Amino acid sequence: MRPPLLHSRSVDETMIPFKYRLLLPMAVTLAAVLIYPLLFSLWASLHDYRLTAVGDVRWVGLEHYAALATNRSFWNAMRNTVIFVAVAVGLEFALGFLLAILLHRATPFRHVFRALLLTPAFITPIAVGLIFRFLLNSQLGVIPHLLRSVGVDVDWFGPNLALFSLALIDVWQWTPFMMLLLLAGLEALPPEPFEAARVDGATGWQALRHITFPLMRPVILASLLIRMLDAFKVYEYVYAITRGGPGESTETIQYHIYRVGFLYYRAGEAAAMAYVLMAVILLFVVVLFYVVRREATS
Amino acid sequence: MKFRRYAGDAAALFILCAALVAVFFPYMFILIASLKDAAAINRPLDWGFTPTLANWAAVVRSDIPRQAWNSLVVGALTAAISLATGAPAAYAFSRFRVGGDAARFVVLSAQMLPPAVLIVPLFLLMYNIRLLNTLWAVTAAHLTFILPFVVWFLIGFFDDIPRDLEEQAMVDGCTQWQAFYRVLLPTARPGLGAAALFAFILSWNDLFYALLLSGGDSRTLPVGVAGYWTFRGVELGQMSAAILLSITPMIVLSFLVQRYLVRGFGGGIVKG
Repeated sequence: MRPPLLHSRSVDETMIPFKYRLLLPMAVTLAAVLIYPLLFSLWASLHDYRLTAVGDVRWVGLEHYAALATNRSFWNAMRNTVIFVAVAVGLEFALGFLLAILLHRATPFRHVFRALLLTPAFITPIAVGLIFRFLLNSQLGVIPHLLRSVGVDVDWFGPNLALFSLALIDVWQWTPFMMLLLLAGLEALPPEPFEAARVDGATGWQALRHITFPLMRPVILASLLIRMLDAFKVYEYVYAITRGGPGESTETIQYHIYRVGFLYYRAGEAAAMAYVLMAVILLFVVVLFYVVRREATS
Repeated sequence: MKFRRYAGDAAALFILCAALVAVFFPYMFILIASLKDAAAINRPLDWGFTPTLANWAAVVRSDIPRQAWNSLVVGALTAAISLATGAPAAYAFSRFRVGGDAARFVVLSAQMLPPAVLIVPLFLLMYNIRLLNTLWAVTAAHLTFILPFVVWFLIGFFDDIPRDLEEQAMVDGCTQWQAFYRVLLPTARPGLGAAALFAFILSWNDLFYALLLSGGDSRTLPVGVAGYWTFRGVELGQMSAAILLSITPMIVLSFLVQRYLVRGFGGGIVKG
């Protein structure tokens, strides 16, 4: 059984080199599902394009992009997303590094711990959102009940705390992944500097500060970037719990674009926002790629 | 010295156990909630309730099993197409360095793209070719990020397999295609298996695309689970059961593919 396109004599005779024939199936698939939508989106972002009136489309040039500069909801969503990403990824890094170090040393049962701790990274974020909405619900949740029994009364999804609570949910789900990335980095470190430090009588803390951190810098940077790229796309927790509220206090960028495009049907405007978001994301990917490449060649 | 070692172990175990409790507490909470009737759910700290399977029975009779089947079909289709089209491409990128670093960068970027960029055109495309609200629409959307992911994953995998095998096979008279198909692919079987499982898991867990591209009978499991967001008290037990149905298979699969996780999602920073 061979895919006919790849092997058939007729394609051979067109003299397409083997290496390009290998790419054909993927190129065709991605052209249909990825390239075409990307181009269409760019086109839509330059037009007054509404899902309610797809027959009546007007060229507006860069108007949508220019309007974003003064669009308060858009910048509010950007701000919320940046706060969410900073809080979530910051905590994930601190906790993840601690756990990675504990799993790197010869702690008993460390492989069992690692396997069990990693499970949140594999489950659907919508389920995680709903679980925590239930768990933190002020009437039905265990956590508010337990807190009240020691005299603490917190409204987790009220206007002051909701964005922070969503970030904590992200911490629950993604700290294990951060832990794993950092653990892989620790395991790839050369042993010699640590042996030399031990011979010289360095304490564990000194070794951590002067050897582990400098050597780990590229891995740390890459781990932070990878998590930030992913956290930027947060949507499910917002959808499951707050739907952007109270007010617009938890409206994140991905949710905002969904709302403008599919609840208000302003597809052109949503496409412009999406392109701005994509530019930010690509900037991060460039840095990530540079870090990875430099490590791979050094 | 020995004492310090034990003290260190004890502190490490204590922190790790605390982390384990934090991870498993939510699982336990919904497992218990799925066994409670509506009245007992109103008393979250009451452990003396009588367990009931009524929620599970209601979920089995609801649309949830059908939606789970849909997710299974979409996941299997996505994994199959990603592997069939992605493996030859990854081979070209790895062995022939087609496009060099630029190609690798494009592959990495593609899997990181925000879904918000693609959803409107995909929605209109599926509407125009009358595939909206079918499993094909969801599969196509999942390919947008899962196919680049699979290619990225397999590039790393093929890079690690020595060329000698294929070169020897070609000396022995294999064509280039046979060297890839008969010699390299069987060697890379663990990587292909892991890629397929990751593809399936990513597809099974997606809400954003499925929410907008599936409807009615074609809804997938995350969309069905998201349907409980109205949060009516009587449905919370069922919601918990449905959530468990959706997450338990993935937790089981996680133990099979965890060792490939860094390689797959680590962007290539360390060879896990």
